[in-house]
Amino acid sequence: MSDTLPEIDTSSAEAVTSRFRYEETLYDAWGQAFDVDEIFFEHKTDHQHLVIFQNALFGRVMALDGVIQTTEADEFVYHEMLTHVPILAHGHAKSVLIIGGGDGGILREVSRHASVEKITMVEIDAAVVDMSKQYLPNHSNGAFDDPRLNLVIADGADFVANAEAAQFDVIISDSTDPIGPGEVLFTQDFYAQAKRLLRPGGVMVTQNGVAFMQLDEVRTTARRMSRLYNDATFYSAAVPTYVGGVMTFAWSTDNVDLKCVDLDTLQSRFAAAQIETRYYNPAVHAASFALPEYIRQAAAEASA
Amino acid sequence: MSQLRHTHENKVLELFDHLDAPTRPQTPEEVRLRQLIAQHGSPLLVMDAERLRQQYRQLKAALPGVDLFYAVKALPDADAIRILTGQGAGLDLATAGEVDMARSAGVSPRRTIHTHPIKKDSEIKAALRFGTTTFVVDNWNELKKFRAYRNRVGLLLRVRFQSPDAVVDLSRKFGCDPHEAIELMRRAVHEGIRIKGLSFHVGSQSGRSDTHVHAIETAVALINQAHREGLGHLKVLDIGGGFPVDYQHKAIDINAFCAPIRNALISVPSWVRVIAEPGRYLVAPAVTAVATVVGKAERDDRPWYYLDDGVYGSYSGQMFDHADYPVETFREGNERESVLAGPTCDSIDIVKDAITLPELEIGDLIVGRQMGAYTAATATDFNALPRARMVLINDVAEQPSDLVKLAEA
Repeated sequence: MSDTLPEIDTSSAEAVTSRFRYEETLYDAWGQAFDVDEIFFEHKTDHQHLVIFQNALFGRVMALDGVIQTTEADEFVYHEMLTHVPILAHGHAKSVLIIGGGDGGILREVSRHASVEKITMVEIDAAVVDMSKQYLPNHSNGAFDDPRLNLVIADGADFVANAEAAQFDVIISDSTDPIGPGEVLFTQDFYAQAKRLLRPGGVMVTQNGVAFMQLDEVRTTARRMSRLYNDATFYSAAVPTYVGGVMTFAWSTDNVDLKCVDLDTLQSRFAAAQIETRYYNPAVHAASFALPEYIRQAAAEASA
Repeated sequence: MSQLRHTHENKVLELFDHLDAPTRPQTPEEVRLRQLIAQHGSPLLVMDAERLRQQYRQLKAALPGVDLFYAVKALPDADAIRILTGQGAGLDLATAGEVDMARSAGVSPRRTIHTHPIKKDSEIKAALRFGTTTFVVDNWNELKKFRAYRNRVGLLLRVRFQSPDAVVDLSRKFGCDPHEAIELMRRAVHEGIRIKGLSFHVGSQSGRSDTHVHAIETAVALINQAHREGLGHLKVLDIGGGFPVDYQHKAIDINAFCAPIRNALISVPSWVRVIAEPGRYLVAPAVTAVATVVGKAERDDRPWYYLDDGVYGSYSGQMFDHADYPVETFREGNERESVLAGPTCDSIDIVKDAITLPELEIGDLIVGRQMGAYTAATATDFNALPRARMVLINDVAEQPSDLVKLAEA
C-alpha cells in the first residue's frame, strides 16, 4: 500500500465502545460518545445489551443496544413535556395510562398532579422497573409507591387490545425506538386499540423520535394517526442526548381545541397544579405545537 | 460395565476394548487425540487457538493496512469469534443469528459489517438494533429497502467480477455489473441514501489473485468516476475473501498470493479504507476432525470402514463446499484401495470412495485436516446423530503449554 495511505488500526475501532467509552451506534456517518466513569449495571443476552453507567456531564446514563435511553441530567425535558402538556391541556384528567416508561420518569411527573385519581402503568418487563428503582432512583423518586398507581407487567399491545374501553383521559406512550423492542407500539393496530381506551375528549401522546434524523417516523405516525383521530399532529422539545435536533411527540385526539388552549387557561391550570418544572411552562407548552417547516410539511403530506 | 451406567462416555471406553493399541507405538498427536476422545467422546473437531491466531497474523502481514472482518459464516463458533476479535479482527455478519453471536461475544457493533446482499426487513432491523450500520446492496430493489433507514446506514455496493478458476463462484448469485454501479449510485443520491463504498467477492479457493487485482483496478476506476461525477466519496473498498487454503498438499504461500493484491492497492485513493472478509483462510487450518472407525466390512474386494462422522456431519463441506479434505490415519502397513463411509443410512454418505489405506481396525482414528471452514457450519442432524463436538486447545497464548501441538497440516 502506498506511503500516503495511513495505517488504520482496527484496535482503535474497538476503543470506541469499551469499558471507558460508550459510542451510540444509531447512525453510520455520525454519532455521540460518552466517557464512562463507572459501570453500575450491565445485562447482556443474545438479544439485547443494556448498560447503566456514570458520565461526568450527564450523570447516570442508561443505554440499550447502542442507543441512549435516558440520562439523569436531561431526562426532565422529555418527561415533563410528555406528561404536563397532555394533562394540562386536557384540564381535568382523572385517569392516566402510561405504556412503557419502566424507568419511572413519566410516572414521577404524572404523580405530581394531585387531580389525577388513577394511574395505570403497563411495563413489559418487571426487571426494568426493579433495575431503575435501584440504579436510576431519581427517575421515579419514590413514585412507584404512589397509592394511585396500578402497575401492570404486560405487553402494552396486549393490554390495549384487552382492556375495557373508554377508561382513560390521557394515554402516554413512552417507548423505545420503532427499530427495537418498542416496534409494536408504533403500529396502526396499537394506535387503534389505544384510541378505544380513551374517554371522549381524551388525548394520546407518544414519543416519536428526532425528526431531522428520522423524518420517516413523522410521516408514518402522521399517516396512521390521521386515519383515527380528528386531530393528529406533533409538538416538540429539544432533549440534548436525543441528538439531531428537536424530538417530536405525536399528539392525537378527537378534540381539535385541545392543542390550542389559551395561555391564560394554561397559566391558571399550571398554577393550580403547584408543580415546579425546569423545562415546561405554559408559554413553552403553547409554543411547542409550532412546528419547524420541514416537520410540518412532512406531517401534512403524510396526513393528506 | 453396568447396563445402567451405559453413557456416551462409556460407549467410547467400550470401543477401546477392541483395541490392540498397546502393541503399536503411538505418535504424540495420536496420544493427545485419544486423550481428548476419552474425555469428550467421538467424533470431535479440535480447534487450535494458536493456529487461529497464526492464520490471522499471517494474513494481516500479507495485507498490511487492510482491516480484516472475519466471515462468521465459515465457522460460527463463539471461541473462534473471541480469539479472532481478540487479535483485532472485526466481524462480517450475514444474518440475525450471526448478529446475535456478535452481541454475545461483546464485539462493538462498530467493528461489524452486514454483507448479505439480499435481506428481509426484519434482518435489517435486527442488525440496526444491534448497532451494525454498514450493509451491502447490489440492486435497486435492495437499495429501496433502506429508504426508511437512510440516515442510519452507510451502504457498500457489491460489484461482480467473474473468477474463471474459483472453485466456488460467487459472482453468479450476487453483485451488479460494474457498468450498473454508477447508475445505482445516482439513484441512491437521488433517494438520499448513502453509498459509502464498494465491495466484491471473487469467489472462494481461487488459486491465483488475478481476479482480485482486476476487481481492485475496476473498483478504483469506479471510485474515481463517482468522485468526478459528484456522487460522493466512496471511502470503503471491501475486497472480500477468497484467500485460499491448502486442501491437497499443494503449498500455498499467502504472502506470494497477496503480493499482486498489495501492488494493486497502491492505486487506491488515500481517503479509502480497505477491508477484507476472510473466512476460510482464518479457520480452515485451525480445526482437525477426529472420527473413529466403528465398523468394517469387505465389499467388492475393497475394505469398507464405517466412521462415526460423515458428509451429513463434519464432512458436509464435501457436499456443499466442494472441498476434498486431506484424510489420514495413524496406522502403517500394506496399503489397499479402501472406502471410508459415514454413519448415516444414506448411501451418499461416503467420506472417501477410493483412498489407499493400510488395514484398519475398529477403534482406529481417522483424522481430517483443514476442517475449520464450512464443516461444522453446514453439518446436519440427519438420523438424529449428534454432531461432532468442538474442543478448543492451546487457548492460552504466550505461555508454555503442556499440550502436544497437533501436526501441522
